[in-house]
Parts: sequence; C-alpha cells; structure tokens
Amino acid sequence: MLKNMHRANEKDKTVNSLPIRAAGYLGPALIPNADGIWEEQKLPANPDELVQKMMGQPMRRAGRFIKLVCCGALACMSRVSEEALSGRKIGIFLATGLGNIDEILPFITQVFKHDGGFPSPNQFANSVSNSAAFFLAKFCGIKGVILTVSQEELSFESALWLAQSYLENGEIDLALVGGCDVFTPSVEDYRERLNLIPGRYRSAPMGEASGWLLLGGDGEEKIGDILSVEISSGSANAESLSSDDFLKRCEKLAAGGKGISEDDIINKVLLPGFRLANLDEASWRNSGWDMDDYLVQCGISSTASACGLARALLSRQGAFLVHGNFSSSGRQALIAASTE
Amino acid sequence: MKQGNIHIRGWSAVTALGWGASEGARRLIAGDVRPAGVCGSSHLVNREFKAFEVPYDGNPLEKSLKMLDASITEAFERGGLSASEIAESALLVGTTGGIFIRNEYEFTESVRRNPGKESPPIVCRNRGPGEVADVIAGKYGIRGLLMTFSMACVSSSHALVVAADLLAQKRIKRAVVVGFEPLLNLTLQGFASLLLYDPDECRPFCNRRMGMQIGEAASCVILEENDSAAAGKSGFVFAGGHLYNDNSSLTSAGTDGEMVRGVVSRTLLKAGTDPGEIIAVKAHGTGTRDNDLSEGRGLAKVFGEGLPPVVSLKGVIGHTLGAAGTVETALWLSCLEEGVIPKSFCFAETDPEIGFAPSQENLPAADGSYLFTFFGFGGTCTGYVVTKR
Repeated sequence: MLKNMHRANEKDKTVNSLPIRAAGYLGPALIPNADGIWEEQKLPANPDELVQKMMGQPMRRAGRFIKLVCCGALACMSRVSEEALSGRKIGIFLATGLGNIDEILPFITQVFKHDGGFPSPNQFANSVSNSAAFFLAKFCGIKGVILTVSQEELSFESALWLAQSYLENGEIDLALVGGCDVFTPSVEDYRERLNLIPGRYRSAPMGEASGWLLLGGDGEEKIGDILSVEISSGSANAESLSSDDFLKRCEKLAAGGKGISEDDIINKVLLPGFRLANLDEASWRNSGWDMDDYLVQCGISSTASACGLARALLSRQGAFLVHGNFSSSGRQALIAASTE
Repeated sequence: MKQGNIHIRGWSAVTALGWGASEGARRLIAGDVRPAGVCGSSHLVNREFKAFEVPYDGNPLEKSLKMLDASITEAFERGGLSASEIAESALLVGTTGGIFIRNEYEFTESVRRNPGKESPPIVCRNRGPGEVADVIAGKYGIRGLLMTFSMACVSSSHALVVAADLLAQKRIKRAVVVGFEPLLNLTLQGFASLLLYDPDECRPFCNRRMGMQIGEAASCVILEENDSAAAGKSGFVFAGGHLYNDNSSLTSAGTDGEMVRGVVSRTLLKAGTDPGEIIAVKAHGTGTRDNDLSEGRGLAKVFGEGLPPVVSLKGVIGHTLGAAGTVETALWLSCLEEGVIPKSFCFAETDPEIGFAPSQENLPAADGSYLFTFFGFGGTCTGYVVTKR
C-alpha cells in the first residue's frame, strides 16, 4: 500500500508548504470555533439564530447546508482583519461529499408525492451544490475562482490540493478552503451513503460540520502551515492504514524538514479519519504521538476532516499534525500541517 | 496563466443523436435530427415534459451506466490510450446529479411493483457526485487523481479548464475529463418549477424562444500536455480557457452582456487569440430569454461587426447540464473532423435586442481557432479556445 504512495508521481500528489492565515469551524453543536455537547438524535440542529448573529441577517430562503457553509466560513474569515483581505484576489474552494441533500430531498419528495406535490423553485435553485458557494461569495464580496469540489470522503483533501495549484499559478492571492456536509434524515441512510461497514470505521456518532482554512499570503501573520497533502491511489484497507507502515510514514513526514525542525515540534498529533478503525494507539503513543479523536466533537461526515483540522489548528500550539483517512475504494489521503 | 501546448487526444459523446461522437456529428451535419419528445424512460413520472433522450430499450439505471461506459471506451479508443496510460491519468468529472438516478429508479420501481399501496418516501442511497469518478476509476484502473466538479451547467466545462491549468503546471500528465448527466425527475421538475421550459422546442437566440429543453448525455475529452505523436494526432489543441464566477445573481449572467464580454475577452487573452482569429463560436445558447440575451449582447460587444458564425447545439441535443462542456466540445470536434461547422437549429426570427441570427447553414471548417462558451447557475462562466491544426 505505502509503496504505491511512494511510487506515485510526487509532483501530482503533494503540495509545497502553504501558510495558514486563519481557521474556523462549526460542529453539530453550532458553536463557532468551540466544542459543545450534542447528540446524534437531536440532529438536525437549527442554525437560524447563528445565521442572524454571524451574518447580521436571516437567510430565509436558504436551507441548512447553505447556512452551515456560510457560518463555518465566516467563523474562519472573521479571524482575519479586513485590511488583510482588502484588494486581495480570494478563491473559494468548497468541498462536499454528499452535497445539499437538505434541499434535494424535500424537493424530490414533493416531485414524487402521490397526489401531486408543489416542488419549490427556490428549493431547486438552492439544491445545486454550488449555490452554497455562490451565497458565501456574495456575502464576502468574492468573485473569480469559486469551485465546488466533491470526491466522497476525500473531498476536502482534493479541494486543498487544488487550492494550492491556484495559489501557485497566481490566479489568486488567498484561498478560502472548506468542507461541509449535512445530516441525511435517517442515520441508517446516512451510514449507507458513506459506505460505513460495521467494525470498519471509528466508533463515533454521525454528524455534520463546516470547517474552513484561509491559506496563502507569504510573510504575513499566520497560525501555521500546510506542509503536504498527499492523495494516493492504491488499494488500502482499514488494516493497512492502521499498521506500523502508516506510523513510519507519519514519522517520516514529521522528520521531513518541510519548513520545520524537529526541535520546533512540541507535540506530534494524529487526527484519525473515520475509516481508521483499528489503530494500535499504544504504538503511536509510545512513539510520542498524541491522538486527537476529533470525531467525538463533530461526528462522522464526508468532510469531517476539514472540521478536525481547523479545530486542531486553533487548539494546539507548536504541533505537528497529520490527518489520515482513506476512501471506501482504497485511496488514501494524508494532510500534514504545523502550528506556530 | 498560459496553458501551453495541450493536445486533445480523444473525445466521445453519447447523446440523443447517437451512441458516439462521430455518429452524432454525421447526423448533425446531415440534418438527421429529431425534436425533443415525450420522455419514455420508466423512472420519469411526468409525461408532459419533452426532452432529448438517448435511445435505449431497457431500464434507465442500466442505460445511464452503459452511456458512461460507451463514452469512456470511445474516447480511450479514439485516443489510442494504453492500459498504463489510462492508469496514470487523472480523472476529472463534471456532473450535477451523479448517480442520483439510482434513487429515482428504485423508488419508481418500488411503486410500480406495489400497485394500490401507499408508497414510502423516496430515500437517498447514492454516494454523492464523487461516486461517478470512483466507479469509472475502479472499472478502468485509473490510479491518478480523482476530482469531481458539481457546479450546475458548467460542471464539465470548468473541469476542462481546471484540467488544462493542472496540465500547464505539470501537476498531472494527462486528464480524462468526463461529463455525465442522465435524465432525472429532479432536474426536469426543477427547471419546470422555474418556468424555464419551452414546451415546443429549444430555440437558441430566436426571438420566439421560450426556454430550454433538457437532454441526457455522457461524454469524455482527454487532454494531454506533450508533443508526442499520439497526443498530437487529432490536430486539436486546447489553446486556453478561463473560468469565472460572479456573485451578482444566482440565475442570470446579467442581461446587459457585460459579464459575458469580460469572460470572453479574458478567455481570448488567455488563449493568446485576437477576436478576429475566431472562426466560429460554439455558444451556450440555452434558448432561455435571459441567457441568450446576456450571451448575444456579450458576444456582440466583443466581436462587433466582425462577429463570426455563432452556433448553439441545444436545439438538437438539449441542455445536457453538467455534461454540456464535454458533450458539446466532443460533438463539435467530430464535426470539424468531418470538415464542417454545423448550423444552429430551431431558429426562425432575429431578436432585435440580440441583433444577430445564429449560423443557419453548414460551413466549411477551416484550420484555426474556435471559441466555446458556457454559463450556469451560481454566476458561473467558462470560456475556452480550441485550435484546429
């Protein structure tokens, strides 16, 4: 499995160090940049008060997906001064695994209603996945490169990888990269859509989250760096990514010297994605790694990694962070980051 | 950034015109086309909508997956890709519905098999838009990057421009770009709810236009950045493209044509092409009042008196939504390969607010540059230039 990762053309699989200007997230408790108590059974939570508070106005015609995208992104953007954003070309890269199911399902239910329903045109317009990025762009006054990327549980990693290429080619100065997925009404359907097989995913409730990073801007104030994003082909499985090889790979990344020295690292932290079910956590701890089981706070969703990474970037100082996960068909993704 | 020497190595299109791009092009050139008809697929519940269906005798879910297979096989064969070349390719997919048809098909089958019983509500079991790429990669052994763009009507046209950008940066070696859009109740009813349908026909740029009609399609365009004989064999080069997203309106590109003017101008700049060098424009031309007015005015602002022939293909294949980028590019390339710029269908009367008629006759296809434009929900715009050598 790891041989595949090494054999792959490194140029098309990794990115160079990338400054992180800000991070922000919303978990299912809907408290910006903070953890809170929530229960799977109480989803979906109503974000209307939060929208009013963060955006200063209601979004009466928008569903929960659009609201969570906007509020999660603002939880990140609000941590940067207006001066730092002024005159900058900002790109938006929204990642979502399942899209705006919150509007698609009620619409299609009306379409199939036995005695003839009333499908809402507004709901249809909002159900298109990139509508959420449109509303975010409108609120933030952003035009230009605005992309909605979807690649199942590696959606956020793919968006991050793509954002790097647009920062590198000079199309944009800053990239607002985030992931958001919302609850599918039935927990059983939600698990099925994520292809979660009992015993093959980490024990955590299903959830929904919106996690965002603002990247780019060399030489400016930052909270950390994205050191690498690796998306590999291959046929990984729960066992292989839980194995010693994975630990060795992460040790190598930590010692890789991509912008940080080992002396700078206070903590090595693993953020295990929801498919890393059988990690030998004792081995990791014996090797000096701390575990950040962020799924307890945001639950399982296709883009939970965005929330987990944003949360760790805000809460851990002097840390070397690795997020690992893989798709149900075996593609792996590793994100390495460091905090100031 | 300049997108360099990017060759179009292969392409394909499964549309209402047939199960291949060459077949579709020949029928287009010969005028052997049919208007949109009442939908026959078993999963479509409303028989009032006319649409452009791909002919198939069987269940619609099976048909959709066969469309996907047929398009990818055709593109790989046309490009002469070896198994190792396929394996190392990146796969970019543009789709809005993904395999949502599975949900609609399972639901309608369940209702059909239980007559007289109250049907349970429809459930979503598809895995999101990215499922399409995963299915293709698994079947064909693609091991490179997978990335799906779910961005309404520019999904696959944006994917083509992103692919060209990644190739120019040498982040990927080759891009297999797929557009996939089966007919769905979701989209048929959705556009109907927005009152965007023309009940009779799709009449791009015509003063009598009343709206769009939807078509289903699967298609593939393979881009490669090198000068090998295999890559350059087709003689088509992706000279440059531009993607842009405005935040003024969710549903309109601005009827003054200013945004379209800006996007087309920027596209030409990126492709290193002067307006006077454009031989013809493959326009988005949906047949809706707003789109055609925005686009028509925008094109007139860029080209002025020197406006080249403008063609919309939607009068004969419908609006294939997220697949429109790859589908219309593939059909166009096959027409050029036959030496013909196809005419625009379903036009009767010039709209004085637009001020020009789309091309009304097949024209000889000279070597040179062709402009492609696409617009969609969310203020999305794509433009690119393909050069025939």
